[in-house]
Amino acid sequence: MKNKIKEVLVKLLRVKPEELKDDVSLQDSIGVDSTEMVETVIALSKEFNIKLNPKDITKFSTISDIAKVVQSKIGQ
Amino acid sequence: MEKIAITGTGIVAPSGIGKRQFWANIKSGRSFVKEITRFDASKYPSHIAGQIDDLEKYTHVSERLLKKIDAFSHMALIASEMALQDAGIDIKNEDPNLVGIFLGNAIGGWLYAETELRDLYIEGREGVSPYMASAWFPAAPQGQVSIYYGIKGFSKTVVADRASSLMALGYARKVLSKSKLNMILAGGMEAPVTPYALLCCNTYGALSKNNAHPSEAYRPFDKKRDGFVIGEGSGIVVMENVERAKSRKAVIQALISGYGTSCDAVDRIKPASDGKELARAINMALNDAGVSADKIDYISLDGLAVDIWDNSEIAAIKSVFGARAKDIPVSCPKSMFGNLLGASGAVDMITTVLAMEHSLIPPTVNLDEPADKSLNYNIGKEAKEKRIEKALIISRGRGGINSALVVEKP
Repeated sequence: MKNKIKEVLVKLLRVKPEELKDDVSLQDSIGVDSTEMVETVIALSKEFNIKLNPKDITKFSTISDIAKVVQSKIGQ
Repeated sequence: MEKIAITGTGIVAPSGIGKRQFWANIKSGRSFVKEITRFDASKYPSHIAGQIDDLEKYTHVSERLLKKIDAFSHMALIASEMALQDAGIDIKNEDPNLVGIFLGNAIGGWLYAETELRDLYIEGREGVSPYMASAWFPAAPQGQVSIYYGIKGFSKTVVADRASSLMALGYARKVLSKSKLNMILAGGMEAPVTPYALLCCNTYGALSKNNAHPSEAYRPFDKKRDGFVIGEGSGIVVMENVERAKSRKAVIQALISGYGTSCDAVDRIKPASDGKELARAINMALNDAGVSADKIDYISLDGLAVDIWDNSEIAAIKSVFGARAKDIPVSCPKSMFGNLLGASGAVDMITTVLAMEHSLIPPTVNLDEPADKSLNYNIGKEAKEKRIEKALIISRGRGGINSALVVEKP
């Protein structure tokens, strides 16, 4: 799951895979901006076929946090 | 008003990226107008342009940023970087509050906008990049340059059709002469080789339809002219006060000494046929520079290659320069790479500064037989030797927005 999320982010934001850390927030690892977060929410919703709200994940979320949220939404 | 120094030059044009390559092609009279290959433009009445196809080779911009910006911002970022390097300025050593950005643009970033609007209608609102909002509008390059370098001083984007960037240079000089800032990145950028932008330019009705012979299509002041050709690119310079430039031992490439502007106020599209307002703008620029008309030894023409535009430009020059109008060398080098619309004035100024530096009058290609013989056109495909001390640059926009700038050899 975490790897899949990283793959989505790498492709979407054109960042390097090694820049994304499981337990560091997106803000601290890649300095994500608010518009990139909008893109991220849409891309993850499409990738996992889930309903994700902009409030569910933020720039303070880590990859592990995101994985938990995505996992909880799958099958809902 | 005070003279302001140009200490760095960045140029991204169909004739070359970087001033060496650009000037080598300009002085040799090589045309870079070609059939448009970026998309199928064959159904457009005019489908030729000056295109830049190898921007990536020169870029320092990350892929992460590239996906958020239009080509015109990309070109402005490359030109800014070149200008700063050329000026020997490390922006980290500058007070960011005292650095400004003054850029000109006419139409915005349509390659980005068109793609996203298509997605809006095909995929719905979630198909649109959230960067659309900040990518397409004319001031987007100013914002991107500002963010890239952390530049925080007074900055502006001028939108005045094809006169935009010469106006931006004029305003930048005004701001610097009031000592409000230490330095300014000034110029313009335009990327009109996109399906919708090309359509708008075609609708304007002033583009050459000589698609069969692209390199011969743009022929300002020639008997066989049938309109201009669009081009894309960016020209940006570093401007600063002369004392500051001297104190940091910078090479002063040229001085901007005068600027004038006026509006024809007669028609939405066409200029006034008498050229009176353009003449007033030129006189304003000369007065501002404290230079009498007999001291100008080169004029860079606007040269739209449309009867009313060319003829009113000639009328203005004759009215300002009188009997000398037939002696002063004039030319329109953009005939080689296309009219860069909102970036054209800045690119013309850069060409003129290079002409001064090399003591060469750049050629007007395709001007084989002047429709009106009252000016001293630089007939021929090659640059001609001539020392240039003081030059005038003319840039005009739709509906008769006139701007004129005087530059001098340092």
